[in-house]
Amino acid sequence: MTERWQDEPWAKDMWWSGKTTRRTFLGLGTAAAGAVGATMLVPAPWRAAFGQARPYKVGVLQPLSGTAAAGGKTALVGTQMAVDRINRSGGLNGRPIELVIADYESKPDVGRRKAEKLVLEDKVDIAEGGYLSNVCLACMPVFEEHRTVWMIGVCLDTTITTTKCSRFVFRPFDYAPAQAVAISPYLVEKMGKKWHIAFLDYAWGQSTRDAYIEQIKKNGGEIVGTTGIPLGTADMAPFVSKISGSFDGIFGIFFGANAVNFTSAIYDLGLTKKYKFAGDGAIAESTHLPALGQKIEGFVGINRYVPVLDPPLNTPHHRKFFDQAVAALKQIDPSGPLPDRYVQSNFEAMNFLKLGIQRSGFRGREDTMKLIEALEGMEVKEGDDFPQGDKTLRKEDHQAFLREFIFTIQNNKHKIVEVVSKEKTVVPPACKFV
Amino acid sequence: MTARPAARPTPPAVGYWIGFTVVGILLVAAPLVLPPFWQRFATEILVWGLLAMSSDILIGYTGMVSFGHSAFFGLGMYGAAAALLTVTPPSLWLAVLYGLVAAGGAAVFVAYFATRLRDIYFAISTLVFSQIFYVIIFTWTEVTGGENGLTFSQPRLAIPGLWSDRFTPATFHWFVLGMVVVSYLLVRRITQSPFGMVLQSIRENEPRTRAIGYHVERYKIVAVMLSGLFAGLAGVLYAIQNKFAAPDFVFFVVSGEVVIFNVMGGMGTLVGPFAGAAFFLLLREGLSRFFTEYYLIPVGIIFTLMVMFVPQGLLGFLRRRLNP
Repeated sequence: MTERWQDEPWAKDMWWSGKTTRRTFLGLGTAAAGAVGATMLVPAPWRAAFGQARPYKVGVLQPLSGTAAAGGKTALVGTQMAVDRINRSGGLNGRPIELVIADYESKPDVGRRKAEKLVLEDKVDIAEGGYLSNVCLACMPVFEEHRTVWMIGVCLDTTITTTKCSRFVFRPFDYAPAQAVAISPYLVEKMGKKWHIAFLDYAWGQSTRDAYIEQIKKNGGEIVGTTGIPLGTADMAPFVSKISGSFDGIFGIFFGANAVNFTSAIYDLGLTKKYKFAGDGAIAESTHLPALGQKIEGFVGINRYVPVLDPPLNTPHHRKFFDQAVAALKQIDPSGPLPDRYVQSNFEAMNFLKLGIQRSGFRGREDTMKLIEALEGMEVKEGDDFPQGDKTLRKEDHQAFLREFIFTIQNNKHKIVEVVSKEKTVVPPACKFV
Repeated sequence: MTARPAARPTPPAVGYWIGFTVVGILLVAAPLVLPPFWQRFATEILVWGLLAMSSDILIGYTGMVSFGHSAFFGLGMYGAAAALLTVTPPSLWLAVLYGLVAAGGAAVFVAYFATRLRDIYFAISTLVFSQIFYVIIFTWTEVTGGENGLTFSQPRLAIPGLWSDRFTPATFHWFVLGMVVVSYLLVRRITQSPFGMVLQSIRENEPRTRAIGYHVERYKIVAVMLSGLFAGLAGVLYAIQNKFAAPDFVFFVVSGEVVIFNVMGGMGTLVGPFAGAAFFLLLREGLSRFFTEYYLIPVGIIFTLMVMFVPQGLLGFLRRRLNP
């Protein structure tokens, strides 16, 4: 037996002999660098079609790694679908759109740095995306400082278009106060007057809870109690077991794995048999349904988007969007998930930018104010660009109002039970632009 | 047999001061020559370097691995935020003061309990304390803004009663550089003082230091406090640069990154953590541009290789190369 394993006879046949000479190392290193460089030199697909036309550079901020990676990747699908469609149809003002994608690792400091990179180094003309509210709030001052329009794709925090609103930031989808206004009459009139609210005990859950408390009371209902559960709690039974008393329903404010844990906990403790179960639409996203099975049956929720082709979503526009989204999502997840509200809102966010650019004659960042003016108060109609339905991008706070779907889960599928028109979701603006 | 006289600390080599001056000049010139993004990035490296250096007081000099530096850093941020949101007009020096008080207060609290423990138990207790602060900040939305954190405007650079002006990226860089240089010289002086020698003695042999008659716990408490204060100062500077404070900075992952900066740069060198922070942040920034969400794989491989082949860190490696 030799002293070094590399000198053993069996090691001689291995691809690596245990000796890496400087020459080998440099050779392999150069080859690897060459391969990376070559991929960078391959032209983007749109270049052949648009020749020398300078593209519109759109910076996209998404969490492609870290805790929110799954949602960020899904959201990016919506953006890419819209951009592919725009470029296939001749671009905007004869110019293609080029996406500059930045992964902010689900961290606000990285988000802020990436936002600075987009505006200072990549010199993007406009920005889109954003998933986590804390990152959106951290990045907003960057876009404001550099006078760049940012069309947010997912961030839900209420303050983005209220106390912390910015002239340069738009939210082309709904927020908690509008959803609370939309579903509260249904909750009180059709499900029961007395409610217990269970919520994720952090900023989003707390502000959403407050919006529902206000609206349920306004509609003649009563809140008999609230239960806050810390974010990331795996076993929610100790919290949920304290929910008891005389009331009609439990209203849940949860998302992601927390929603699955909460629903499982109240089902296992028999609360879904004793009380009615309603909540934020994020509890019953299509990705949760296989995991929840029977446990989510009968749940009533509200969402801006539900992946069904029933009326009023049985339009050719929505069918086209739905089919394309399913195909695109299958490329990142072979299990073939159905599209969710993140795909929808990012798809439509890009289309809002498209219309704004077309109407304002936006050429680049020097025309930012023209673009803002074109977007402010923009009314859009249901169609291929906006398969979810009509929308108004309110001038006073840059908050969109759109129709909401109240749905239930039957046989592990979404079923729309009521459609609330966008006019019935409007709440007064609470923003003062500096 | 005659006792050997105690070895006097050797004066630093001329090369050291030449290197220090050259790096200083380069950092002063950075805002004048770098593009805006890299200019801000250089400032950020200085701030993270200061945080890493503060942790070096414990890791490198006292032999105590802390996973609680995120708490001191974060509380420095929130202290500054409190001053900038409650005092009108926002005052830079009050932000610094509030941040130092918040971080220093937390450091006293953590030090009182954690320094009774050693080795892994000390590390775990600092981690637990940082997580307690994280949970409080994360859930106390009315005061801390919860997950969303707090946003505020940047204070003016001012000499109270005499002069004030808005920060530009360049003046802010020089302000941070000034703070970092003063902090470095101060920490350097402390680590070379008799107090610093006792800390190093604790690192080398704690029972013997105790046997000689030093009150080891008190020295450890002061070390944690000093470390916490400089970490808090880094937090204040970061908050002022970015105009926000967020609970993510109190999360223990930040403490882990600080330990990585120390390991990469070289522990017990003070300058090494700056080199480690610069290397790590530049590596992350560069690789994330090519590999997007997969950049952590090459970063992890490089870190593993460094731990295996350059365990003494970049500075230790350079020292060995320069003084074979």
